[in-house]
Amino acid sequence: MSKVIVVTSGKGGVGKTTSSAAIGAGLAMRGHKTVVIDFDVGLRNLDMIMGCERRVVFDFINVIQGDAKLKQALIKDRRLENLHVLPTSQTRDKDALTKEGVKAVLDELREEFDYIVCDSPAGIERGAHLAMYYADEAVVVTNPEVSSVRDSDRVLGLLNSKSALAEKGDGSAVKAQLLLTRFDQNRSANGEMMSVEDVLEILAIPLLGIIPESTSVLKASNEGTPVSLDERSPAGKAYIDAVGRLVGEQIEMRINPGEQRRGFFQRLLGRTA
Amino acid sequence: MQSGKSAAQTVATVKPLQIRGRTFTAIALHLSGWPDRAFFEALEARLNQTPLFFDNAPLVIDLEQAEGLDSAEALMHLTAELRRRKLSVFGIQSGTPAQARAAAEAGLISLPSGRDVALERVSRQGSRPQPAPAPAPKEPANLMVTQPVRSGQTVFADRGDLIVIGSVSSGAEVIAAGNIHIYGRLRGRALAGVNGDTAARIFCHALDAELLAIAGLYRTSENLGADTPRQYVQVYLQGEVLRIESLK
Repeated sequence: MSKVIVVTSGKGGVGKTTSSAAIGAGLAMRGHKTVVIDFDVGLRNLDMIMGCERRVVFDFINVIQGDAKLKQALIKDRRLENLHVLPTSQTRDKDALTKEGVKAVLDELREEFDYIVCDSPAGIERGAHLAMYYADEAVVVTNPEVSSVRDSDRVLGLLNSKSALAEKGDGSAVKAQLLLTRFDQNRSANGEMMSVEDVLEILAIPLLGIIPESTSVLKASNEGTPVSLDERSPAGKAYIDAVGRLVGEQIEMRINPGEQRRGFFQRLLGRTA
Repeated sequence: MQSGKSAAQTVATVKPLQIRGRTFTAIALHLSGWPDRAFFEALEARLNQTPLFFDNAPLVIDLEQAEGLDSAEALMHLTAELRRRKLSVFGIQSGTPAQARAAAEAGLISLPSGRDVALERVSRQGSRPQPAPAPAPKEPANLMVTQPVRSGQTVFADRGDLIVIGSVSSGAEVIAAGNIHIYGRLRGRALAGVNGDTAARIFCHALDAELLAIAGLYRTSENLGADTPRQYVQVYLQGEVLRIESLK
């Protein structure tokens, strides 16, 4: 039984594409056949983050419009054999997406893949709406700051009312979980950032993971490597843990999984959070 | 003599006939050429769009652009076809003298050309719906929401109390004709007694509202004051003042 997971946030720049790539790679590393779809038509980024931008020939829009077959547009990752990317078009806009077209492509992908990760564009307009419409589960990417939290709250409201599952009207709903990204424990402890508890209290959904602010994320993006492939970085570890929880494993929540060999004083100071 | 008198009385009491001026709206069907098969197909399509609207509507054939159509037989055929489609043809307009004669032969009257109006106006006059029976007095109906009310959502209990089990996010709106109960934190806007019920109240577990209003009297978070109770509170109207009070 394949699952469609939308990675969404409302606000831009919080790490949707980075998270989509990392989650997609994480699922593939666990042996699940996974495809990541870029729904951000016109602002193609996913292929760069995943390091396959030079291999794009046909795209999602070509498939929707019947100009290419799905097989022609899917790009197989060179590092992970279970990972595929369906890139989007840079030259079109979000009006090229249609409900029927998206459904047809997703239905075809469901036959072959275990997990279909939809990288949503920012905003709540057409592109974002179609990315979430057919989802079974949602990963809501949020930064620990008020505007991001409010936008995530808005997106959760839309998931509850404007998705195919919600429109069935039989009480079924998209299972939404929170991925808190760019989290800095020290700044949160100082009160510069919201705390994990504050965010959870407002959004009232289960916590999938906390991704620490890390230089490795930017480095991985520039190199075109999903962060979760870098198992030494705290962010990579945090994504791997989050993927484990996504597939239903019980994994203890660690705020900074990379820093385990800390000094005595550091450990004492770290406990305030 | 006797009979003449009674006739005069009859005239005085009930008039056998009255003549009054009358304006009414008719539909003008503009022909552009001979009514061929394509014309009837197009007509059928148009009639099918709004089947009831044209039913038995008085109709005038406008012949301004159909000068060739001047035989009584052709007009009779056209009239029969239109009547078969439940259009009540009674005359022609903008016809040439020859067409007027043909129309008279076909039993149609020839009208001086009138002024066209948009069909919407005609439709409003032509198919005015019967006034709905007076609605029965509405029963109060309370509304229960068991999920958090998210930013951008509006929940409106238009005929009773609103009960929210969960929090109301900043940017969300909860509105009720009656009271509002929130078993959670109120961060958004709450408007109780919106139909003017000054006895309505707002209850919430934790108060962090952007705006509170009862029967149109409101306070925003900015002028709530630092000493306002924030936990287990009720909000009610005391005269013209919105009071916030702890329930503890």
